[in-house]
Amino acid sequence: MRKRLCGVVVLGLLVAVVGVGCSAKKKGAEGAGAAGSGVGEEGLGGGGSLDKYQKGLAPGEEGPLKDVHFAFDSVELDEPARSTLRDNGNWLKDHSQAKVEVEGHCDERGTVEYNLALGAKRARAAKDYLVALGVPTERLTTISYGEELPLCHEHDESCWQKNRRVHFVVLSE
Amino acid sequence: MNRTRLMIVVAVSVMGSAATRSQAQVRGTIFGPGARSYPVAVSPLKNLSGSTAARDVGTHFGEIVERDLTLSGYFKTLDHAAFIEKPEASGYTADSINFDNWSVIGALALVKGAYTTEGDNLTLEVRLFDVYQRRQLTGRRYHGSIAEVRRMAHKFADEILTQFTGERGPFDSRIAFVSTRDGRFKELYVMSLDEGDLQQVTKNQTINVSPAWMPDNRSLLYTSYKRRNPDLYLLDFMTGNETRLSQRTGLNLGGKPSPDGAKIAVTVEDNGNTDIVLLDRSGKVTRRITDSWAIDVSPTWSPDGRQIAFCSNRSGGPQIYVVGADGGEPQRVTFQGTYNTSPAWSPKGDRIAYVSRLDGGFNLFTVKPDGSEPRQLTQGAGNNEDPSWGPDGRYLVFSSSRGGHKKLFVTDATGSSQVQLTHGGGDDSSPAWSRWLE
Repeated sequence: MRKRLCGVVVLGLLVAVVGVGCSAKKKGAEGAGAAGSGVGEEGLGGGGSLDKYQKGLAPGEEGPLKDVHFAFDSVELDEPARSTLRDNGNWLKDHSQAKVEVEGHCDERGTVEYNLALGAKRARAAKDYLVALGVPTERLTTISYGEELPLCHEHDESCWQKNRRVHFVVLSE
Repeated sequence: MNRTRLMIVVAVSVMGSAATRSQAQVRGTIFGPGARSYPVAVSPLKNLSGSTAARDVGTHFGEIVERDLTLSGYFKTLDHAAFIEKPEASGYTADSINFDNWSVIGALALVKGAYTTEGDNLTLEVRLFDVYQRRQLTGRRYHGSIAEVRRMAHKFADEILTQFTGERGPFDSRIAFVSTRDGRFKELYVMSLDEGDLQQVTKNQTINVSPAWMPDNRSLLYTSYKRRNPDLYLLDFMTGNETRLSQRTGLNLGGKPSPDGAKIAVTVEDNGNTDIVLLDRSGKVTRRITDSWAIDVSPTWSPDGRQIAFCSNRSGGPQIYVVGADGGEPQRVTFQGTYNTSPAWSPKGDRIAYVSRLDGGFNLFTVKPDGSEPRQLTQGAGNNEDPSWGPDGRYLVFSSSRGGHKKLFVTDATGSSQVQLTHGGGDDSSPAWSRWLE
């Protein structure tokens, strides 16, 4: 019963998010002179994971920057992660005014406090890689949410894999 | 506030030196927790006022005592349906009780008593009897408001444990915890050991983690995202007064007061790296406890305040370490497994509880502070995490997902008696057990 209710809420939210996305695009297209503002709204996608949580929205993967994933209890950036970070780095070079919050997340397994510390390390690892690619450090802030704001709520590896991530939120462009 | 007004009072007519000797005899008779072998009958208290206004008080008192005795793991409480003596038609002193009525149903111990109410005031007198020896072991008289019946019951349960085990029970205390019971937000709550007097102490609709009691039992340290950055707060939940103690950019996490309350050990982040520092009561950093590139997190004080155990992944995976509160080289104390976290130092000082990942699941262990004699407390179903010791160092509260949602459970320090403490909807986690309320 509880699960089904959650499903309905998530569906409703999806509709809401898609709706916001569409209107933002429209606005961007119409306001041709105001370059960036339309993209900005689209990129903000309702704010960071904490804002979404407080508004009752599920955390998302959307935005112009892609999530980076990790192994259990690891902060190591594997080749797919580095490849994603290079793409993100290119976007950041193309949008040279963009300021980004780098969120570190963990899966639900293990201890709340340790996972908060691990999320901080993950965010730092991703940030360091972007800085090494030439992104100025002052454009990137980090925050850890540990296991507190999971993207996916099933108790299995396919879900955990999605939750062990660094998520990028464009704060301003 | 009400609680502090509760006065206990006098031992009721304990019979001098003879009684002291008999207590010593009784203390030898009980087995360890988990055996649940000691049958005790808890009779509802007799209502002496004749008023029907507070007629549930005597039943409520008995229910809480029974629940505590069950949580303790030492006792089996007998079914009321079998009781022959009815409280309203019988006495509650050794010379007015027909002990045959209790021995025949298998009771070895008996709790009987009586109460009077006058307006909101409650006076309650309760006694513990040895059925076989046909005499009183102890008695207490409590005065307070009717709402304080819970505390009177917990106090008497503590006294029963004193009589039978030689050590005071842990029940006159409280538990703070994180819960999603009222929605999706992780708010802090405080409750008594019977799930009663539940108080929601944060209502900021965000993420709150890691509650810890200050020694005064009325204020809590916790970390909250309510101002976006995870800052450390000190909240007096009786008055609502709150101080933001640590607000560095990044984590300000898991604050734990020294036993004298003068210092607070806390995890702080510096650009992704976490270390443990000491703060004074104003939030000023007075000492750095760890300084490494690795994760250092979850400090817990030894009861003498001279050492701090914490979790670090400096050797690869997370392990438990002990370091002097004045600094020094940390000594590793866990060596089994690749994931050991969440240390909690027993108030007796003899053991450190922690969580270990084993075959994919998470379970409670304890180890001596020198690293010897690791002992597994939980196994099997669900994940068992977040250990916090009770004030007596004999029991722990922890969270477990063994039934689906995370709920709080109480276990004795051997793991042989594990009883579910919280019920209802949502997830309950990160319990912190207070000291005795007085």
